[in-house]
Amino acid sequence: MDEQLAQARAGNLGAFSTLVQAHKRSVYSLALRMLGQPELAEDMAQEVFIQLHANLSSILSADHLAFWLRKVTAHRVIDYLRRRPTVSITSLDEEAEQMEPADPGDPLLQRQVRQLILGLSPDARAVVTLRYQEDLDPVDIARTLDMSINTVKSHLKRSLDLMRQRIESGEPPRCEGQSP
Amino acid sequence: MTDDLESKLRDALRPAAPSEDFDRQLLARLAATQREPTKLRGRYASRTTWWFSAALAATVVLAVGVQHHRAVEENREKGLEARRQVMQALRVTNDKLDLAYRAVRDQSGAVAGDPGA
Repeated sequence: MDEQLAQARAGNLGAFSTLVQAHKRSVYSLALRMLGQPELAEDMAQEVFIQLHANLSSILSADHLAFWLRKVTAHRVIDYLRRRPTVSITSLDEEAEQMEPADPGDPLLQRQVRQLILGLSPDARAVVTLRYQEDLDPVDIARTLDMSINTVKSHLKRSLDLMRQRIESGEPPRCEGQSP
Repeated sequence: MTDDLESKLRDALRPAAPSEDFDRQLLARLAATQREPTKLRGRYASRTTWWFSAALAATVVLAVGVQHHRAVEENREKGLEARRQVMQALRVTNDKLDLAYRAVRDQSGAVAGDPGA
């Protein structure tokens, strides 16, 4: 991967495409789980890769590339959500499109959990998605989102409590900060 | 319960693939973005030309203004000089007339005091 990175830095578009192939699922999924809209998530993911292409010289290694992509994606989506803080609820058809053909588990339950994430604040969505999609620990999440570790832990705890409470009460998801 | 929710979250957040058009659209956007620097250079160049023209126009206006101001000052100086000269001439004339008047008066006094006149 470092070799591909070096070639991409030298202007090799094929090498850049290989980097895109390797990371597009992660970048797109992070945007999708935070935004809840496939088209918007694709648009955002493409903007992230265009920004990467312009900043390839600042990427030091394969690990740094993964870190950089997560950081830029999360910050872009958070900025977008802060500007347009509407709750996005995807339709069942869109939800079906997001599912992998061999996706195991209960689709309705997965949909419910995703909708619960969309009911969280932008920062909390980023923390939860990085934790459970990217499997990052709180230290790495804090570095990615420029937050303190305590803030990350607090977001995680509050988000889990809130989601559990909503599952138990059967309450429909709504964005944090909205009145009941 | 928390562990249960965490496992549900991991299930629900498995990475998804973007559409098949993703790469093609990305490359098209990338190509469009790479053409933008030329446009930006063009925009920058036209902006520079605009500033240069504006600066040139301002310089011309300033030069004309300064020239006009100098001409006005010069005329004013000439006017003052002419006025000084007129005043000087009037003073000289006045002195001459004064002398003439005194001479006439002295002569008149002498004629009046001469018993044989």
